[in-house]
Amino acid sequence: MGVFVNYACLFRLLLWANALTFITAVNIASDATELSGDRALNRPSSFISVPHAFQPDSFRQFLTLGLSDAFPEDMEGTENCLELLSIFGQRYVTLANCLVSYARPVKVCQNCYTDYNNFENIYKNISSDQSGPGNVSCQDSLLWSDRLMLLPSLYSGLRDIWESAACTNCLTAYQMNLSNETLNFLAKLNQSLICFDKYQQGNHSELCKKCKTAYKQLDELYSKMEGNKTLCIDIEDAMNMTRQLWSKNCSSPRKEMVPVIAVSSFMLFLPIIFYLSNYLHSEQKKRKLIHPKRAKSSHSLMNIQDKFS
Amino acid sequence: RLSTVDLEEDIDPVRSRPKEIPHNEKLLSLKYESLDYDNSENQLFLEEERRMSHMGFRCLEISRWVICGLIGVFTGLIACFIDIVVEKLAGVKYSVVKKNIEMFTEVGGLSISLLLWVVLNSAFVMVGAIIVTCFEPIAAGSGIPQIKCYLNGVKVPRVVRLKTLVVKVCGVICSVAGGLAVGKEGPMIHSGAVVAAGVSQGRSTSLKKDFKIFEYFRRDTEKRDFVSAGAAAGVSAAFGAPVGGVLFSLEEGASFWNQMLTWRIFFASMISTFTLNLVLSVYHNKTTELSSPGLINFGTFDLECVQYSLYEIPLFICMGAIGGLLGALFNLLNYWLTIFRIRYVHRPCLQVMEAMMVAAVTASVSFAMIYLSNDCKPLKMDNSEEYPLQVAQWLSERWSGNSAARQFVYSWVRVGQGGASPSLVFGVVSAFQLFCADGEYNAMATTFFNTPERSVRSLFHNPRGTYNLLTLGFFTLTYFFLACWTYGLMVSAGVFIPSLLIGAAWGRLFGVLLPNKTFIKPIWADPGKYALMGAAAQLGGIVRMTLSLTVILVEATGNVTYGFPIMLVLMTAKIVGDYFIEGLYDIHIKLQSVPFLHWEAPATSHWLTAREVMSSPVTCFNQLEKVGTIMDFLSNTATNHNGFPVIVQATFGMTCLFLLCGLILRSQLIVLLKHKVFVERAHSRLHQRKLQLKDFRDAYPRFPPIQSIHVSQDERECMMDLSEFMNPTPYTVPQETSLPRVFKLFRALGLRHLVVVDDVNKVVGLVTRKDLARYHMGKHGLEELHLAQM
Repeated sequence: MGVFVNYACLFRLLLWANALTFITAVNIASDATELSGDRALNRPSSFISVPHAFQPDSFRQFLTLGLSDAFPEDMEGTENCLELLSIFGQRYVTLANCLVSYARPVKVCQNCYTDYNNFENIYKNISSDQSGPGNVSCQDSLLWSDRLMLLPSLYSGLRDIWESAACTNCLTAYQMNLSNETLNFLAKLNQSLICFDKYQQGNHSELCKKCKTAYKQLDELYSKMEGNKTLCIDIEDAMNMTRQLWSKNCSSPRKEMVPVIAVSSFMLFLPIIFYLSNYLHSEQKKRKLIHPKRAKSSHSLMNIQDKFS
Repeated sequence: RLSTVDLEEDIDPVRSRPKEIPHNEKLLSLKYESLDYDNSENQLFLEEERRMSHMGFRCLEISRWVICGLIGVFTGLIACFIDIVVEKLAGVKYSVVKKNIEMFTEVGGLSISLLLWVVLNSAFVMVGAIIVTCFEPIAAGSGIPQIKCYLNGVKVPRVVRLKTLVVKVCGVICSVAGGLAVGKEGPMIHSGAVVAAGVSQGRSTSLKKDFKIFEYFRRDTEKRDFVSAGAAAGVSAAFGAPVGGVLFSLEEGASFWNQMLTWRIFFASMISTFTLNLVLSVYHNKTTELSSPGLINFGTFDLECVQYSLYEIPLFICMGAIGGLLGALFNLLNYWLTIFRIRYVHRPCLQVMEAMMVAAVTASVSFAMIYLSNDCKPLKMDNSEEYPLQVAQWLSERWSGNSAARQFVYSWVRVGQGGASPSLVFGVVSAFQLFCADGEYNAMATTFFNTPERSVRSLFHNPRGTYNLLTLGFFTLTYFFLACWTYGLMVSAGVFIPSLLIGAAWGRLFGVLLPNKTFIKPIWADPGKYALMGAAAQLGGIVRMTLSLTVILVEATGNVTYGFPIMLVLMTAKIVGDYFIEGLYDIHIKLQSVPFLHWEAPATSHWLTAREVMSSPVTCFNQLEKVGTIMDFLSNTATNHNGFPVIVQATFGMTCLFLLCGLILRSQLIVLLKHKVFVERAHSRLHQRKLQLKDFRDAYPRFPPIQSIHVSQDERECMMDLSEFMNPTPYTVPQETSLPRVFKLFRALGLRHLVVVDDVNKVVGLVTRKDLARYHMGKHGLEELHLAQM
């Protein structure tokens, strides 16, 4: 109990120091206030400091101690929230781990959806308004109680990644499973890749001939899915890689250079004929000049001047 | 009874024979007349004003506002219509051609796809050219020169008719869908002007429908004000630039401005852009997002990229100079071409053939360029998904180190929101695989195989590395010549977008070249910025607009930060370009032989006096004139005069003089003859209704020709009293007035006739617009233009 009192005192000291620093900022700084402010600010920083090693148990113990020291009456509610916090931490780590390990080539959606679901569930639990035992909602204490708001920004970071990958398009409702279309595509993809592998060593033209049907089917399926908007990053990336592989081996050369150039130059030749024939055969448009009535200035001027003189 | 100023008439035989010369720029055509901007304050007018209550004047003011609102709404709707139809037609065409190309890439026979493209383009353009040449030739071109003339005070025949509007709109759709190097922005200005002229009259003479509203506005004065509002609304709908529209009207037609008129015009512009925005947002199923204010959407530049540094200003000025040079070259080539066209390609069938040929060549050149281009870029991101906005923002935040990626995402989001369907717009980045390997797209195709607006946008916003140097270089070169060749064809189409496109291409080239040559930090050399400056420079070098163009570009990009560099660029382009040749619109005005009055009289013309300038002798009528005399003079085809001084006999002691007492117009005389307002009849039939100003308005603007009026032999002997109908206080000047002084009166008051009198108020001559417009500064000092019959 003595410890608690001690910490409570410290907490009050912190508030007081804050007020003081505020005053010093506004008023003239005196040595004494600055000193006490510094001392007071230093201590809470060591008191809030987060452990570097991510060890849930010790972490929890430490926090329990710290928080419950500060707010002895909220003990039970805090206990519950800290439980949630630690689960959040674990699931975050799992999901991040999964995402990183399937980053290249991208297979994020296929492999991480369960992790993502779990992660999302725990965040929902935290942010739901249900107050646990002890009548305290964890939403307030965990999510919004400080400037950093670490949990929401961690969550939104991963959620944004998930959304921009458009993984929902490849999953069934509620993201429980891979959708049938995706599975179908993956099967087709596999087929093509196996075929590519098989003829890789030999002649390229053989590869192009043998694998063409598989590749075309894959391409068609992809186009269809593109129309349906059922693409996610996994499929896009896989298709991209496959296409590059295919083009590297089997790009078709431009074989119709001559006719295209011939037709184009014929078209270019037309205006020359047109303008030339117009110039030679069309009659030139002439304009009739008209002479407006003008005063013969010198005469009349002389007359008028004569009259007046 | 007829009095002419008696000067000896010795017409020498050489001059009397009409001389024929080939068409050139130093001619003035007789077919153009002036608008009657000056109000005739005759007795009828004064009576009507007396009868009108205070409330009546308030109603007039309100109806002016209503008309401006209607102008805005209709202009916006027309813009929507053009936009949607072009989008549909071009979409269908491109998908057909693309499918065909894809099909033939597999099996061979690509020349068939080439021919398909050529035939499709030519067919569209043929329709467009036929309706223009056969129904309304005045609808050809962008229409901006014509509107400029109209606002200057020249009555261009048939320019603001409903038929012209219909032909213009259909013609634009055809030529843009036909893949010509043209834009639909210039014609919007013309369309807006026609709408204004139609709406403000409350009737359509073509459809023979009179709504009996807005009758007060049936005169040139009011109509011209509304037409300037319509032109502003057109600009505003085309570029989403309401302030730019107002300034365009101000720059092109501003002799008669006051604060209320400006405010009303601004109202019309705003309504127009809002209508377009609203209708397009409904069309694209985004009713609440008003995000497409103009036909062309340059897209907003990402705020991070808008910054320009002080060291870049010399670069911008340099680009302005390049733009001026290229613009001058463009104008010069087009000038030669236009003269050739006027002289040799003047038969309608030849004109249609020429337009089709241009379309065919455009298509085949584009195809060849795409085919021969090796500029294949890997697809960066798939276009199929329409990601929500926040994701893209998030992506760009994450990629903040990578400005290219960032800009890429931004442009993409913006375009996606911008109204057009995302797959089509984003298609510029990915859809055109054409002859590239799978998973890659053809960069050349993104510029050629697209509507010009989209190409401009992709040049502005695509990240560095989207196009390689060769692509941009070839594109600039071919498009420059294609656009130059296209402008002046008998199709309705504008030059704004092609100019922007050429400029954007070489500007981007400039931006891409920079970091290779110098050691500038790469973040400065964001090629999109240079593309914008290049576009401004090229457009400024071609059309030479100043204030309004700056504001239009600033508004269209939604970016005030670039105001200063754009202004610098446009100034430089204008200075450099003016050194060589005039602006494109001025060239075309000159080639059409329009008596156009510039802002100032030509320099070094002060020694010319009204006596040298005026036409003389003048046909005058007596205040009480015989009908037969009037009939004879009006039906004389050799003289096509429009204003006749009215004189009255005065006796000073022994001498008897004919002094000026008013001015009457041909149109007024025709109405008087039609209603047979003769002195004898008034005596015999007292109950006859008195002629009112309304009768003159009903006949406006198409007064019947004199040939349609029949006067019996008896009636020829009757007398007409003109005193009630003539303008009793016409503007007059003494003979010694200098040309610049006369010019200023014409320009500032919008005069049509200026009577030259001697010191006892006897008529000596008459100055009209053509008398003034014939003087211009040539290479060898002051030159005189010839009048010609066309």
